[in-house]
Amino acid sequence: MDFVVSQLLTGLSLSSILLLVALGLAIIYGVTGVINLAHGEFVMLGAYCAWLLQTQLGWGLLPSLIPIFVAVALLGLAVEYLVIRHLYDRPLDTILATWGLGVMAQQIVRLLAGGELRYVQMPAALSGSVNILGATDSAYRLFVLAVALGLFALTWYVYRHTSIGLQLRAITQNRQIASSFGINAGRAYRLTFAYGAGIAGLAGALISPLKSVSPEMGTGYVVDAFMVVVVGGVQSLFGTVVSSGLLGELTGALAYLSNDTIAKALVLAAVVVIIRFRPQGLFTPRIRA
Amino acid sequence: MSNKPILQLLIYGAVCLALLLIPAFVDDAFLLNKFARYLIFGMLAVALSLSWGYAGILNLGQATTFGLGSYCMAMALKLKTVPIHTGAEGLPDFMVWNNVTELPWLWWPFQSLPFAVAAGILVPAAFAALLGWFMFGGRVAGVYSAIITLAAMVVVNLIIVDQQSYTGGFNGITDLARFEVLGISFDAYARSTYLLVAACLTVALFAALAVTRSKTGLILQAIRDQEERVRFFGYDVARYKTFVFAASAAIAGLAGMLYTIVMEFASPTFLGVPLSLSIVIWVAVGGRQSLLGAMLGALLVTGVQGSLSESETFLSTWTLVMGGLFVLIVLFMPRGLAGIVSGLRRRGTARKAAAQQSGSVGATGAPAGRTA
Repeated sequence: MDFVVSQLLTGLSLSSILLLVALGLAIIYGVTGVINLAHGEFVMLGAYCAWLLQTQLGWGLLPSLIPIFVAVALLGLAVEYLVIRHLYDRPLDTILATWGLGVMAQQIVRLLAGGELRYVQMPAALSGSVNILGATDSAYRLFVLAVALGLFALTWYVYRHTSIGLQLRAITQNRQIASSFGINAGRAYRLTFAYGAGIAGLAGALISPLKSVSPEMGTGYVVDAFMVVVVGGVQSLFGTVVSSGLLGELTGALAYLSNDTIAKALVLAAVVVIIRFRPQGLFTPRIRA
Repeated sequence: MSNKPILQLLIYGAVCLALLLIPAFVDDAFLLNKFARYLIFGMLAVALSLSWGYAGILNLGQATTFGLGSYCMAMALKLKTVPIHTGAEGLPDFMVWNNVTELPWLWWPFQSLPFAVAAGILVPAAFAALLGWFMFGGRVAGVYSAIITLAAMVVVNLIIVDQQSYTGGFNGITDLARFEVLGISFDAYARSTYLLVAACLTVALFAALAVTRSKTGLILQAIRDQEERVRFFGYDVARYKTFVFAASAAIAGLAGMLYTIVMEFASPTFLGVPLSLSIVIWVAVGGRQSLLGAMLGALLVTGVQGSLSESETFLSTWTLVMGGLFVLIVLFMPRGLAGIVSGLRRRGTARKAAAQQSGSVGATGAPAGRTA
């Protein structure tokens, strides 16, 4: 029993990280249709911000979260304004442009902060462990899970129950008609992109105490996050949650049965098959376009 | 316009000839090895240009097929070495370290070099054909096929890293014998190796050109521009796309084999995301809709990169510049440098045509080549 619970908790922890990273990507992709390959770099920048604030200013992780969100969101705003907005009608080129941006971000960080691994301290209040049904789990991991679910709830609320969310849904259904009703689609896209980037930054900051921080750390996350989005379905926020839960637990289980590498390979292979047979995602209801 | 294809052939031929003649002027073995490496990258760019520029299939995992070719060659050359460790009959050293007692069946056929050379082309092509059939048969296109190629590459890479006892894992396959054919031994730093690479590049370039000039090539370009319409005409779009995907993989596999000869090892980094990204950048810089442009793009970018690599700071700044340049090219020059050249030429012919129309036909004179 302990074993099952602890295995589930391991999977849940993987899932919460996946959800954090994928949420921003899902919003950006769902609303604007842009595949943001620089998403992992936003995550990486968030982690570096946490490291910088901690080592230079002595800030703890928790008080730095809001400034980090704002900083990375502003960066996202700039990126959208300078590059992405010119490419909305060329989806393949957005992949390339964001890939190039990712390379630049990695390189800038490597030049400024050095290529070596960095470590961020866990908040002292959360460094203990908690006992759940006989299995122990680190309090911080549970905190990350709570934040991930909280962010999801917030995003869902904004998307479903506010006027800006209504506008976004209108734009995703039909941009032309939405525009002719006076919705400023350009502004909505920009805000969406900034929000998605900000969440990515937050994700990076939250992950930083769990993993080492390096300029290349984003590459792995963007692949994982993309897989979550694809499996979950582009238009479905709940799909994102379910699929990050599914992929996290699956990775955890497969990693236990074989090893991390093979687990990753198997999950990726499964994702390839899913893209092939259900490119609209597993959890998207069929709607008439 | 009947002389345009001939002009193109002449230009392609001249460039290849120039590349083949380089060893006559360069004597430095180290430099020749470096140039050979650049030419292999050029070959990779040709491969990507064929599928991306002519058929619209953005392959973010071009390095997969490159790596497969490279491993085929490395396996054969590894078996040619005298094992350093006292393992069972001719077992590669890393297998001995991993307590493998007999040669795995996968390795058996690679004791024959001709088999390995054939496999280095056919295995990548078969892999691509399978993946292509899987994707294009299900009408997966555009962004999604790009992502599938990327994911498939990561899968293959992870498997190679994981199966350490059969593939050498992280370290790859090192300490190889020299590639020997017809009594010629291809030392990585010798002139013969450079010439081999340059000759293969020439063959690959002209083979790719032949594909683009054929009726198949025309249909591929039509698919790139309007896939649905071609399908309505009754063409089996998936088959054409799979074909070009496999052809591109075969060229990449050949490049991979040569890379093993030139570098004297094979490594999982050959199937890495960074290399795949670089290939896309070279092709974007050179111009994806021109085979020669893509190839020259690769030579230009890797050449500059290589000459800066003496200094670590320069190199990292260069990566930054490269990233920025790439973003700018995607934004403003989707046809790359080749696009500028053809743009200039078009403007030139337009001016000439205007001059001819204004009555001064005799003064400008018909171009001499037009009658040829």
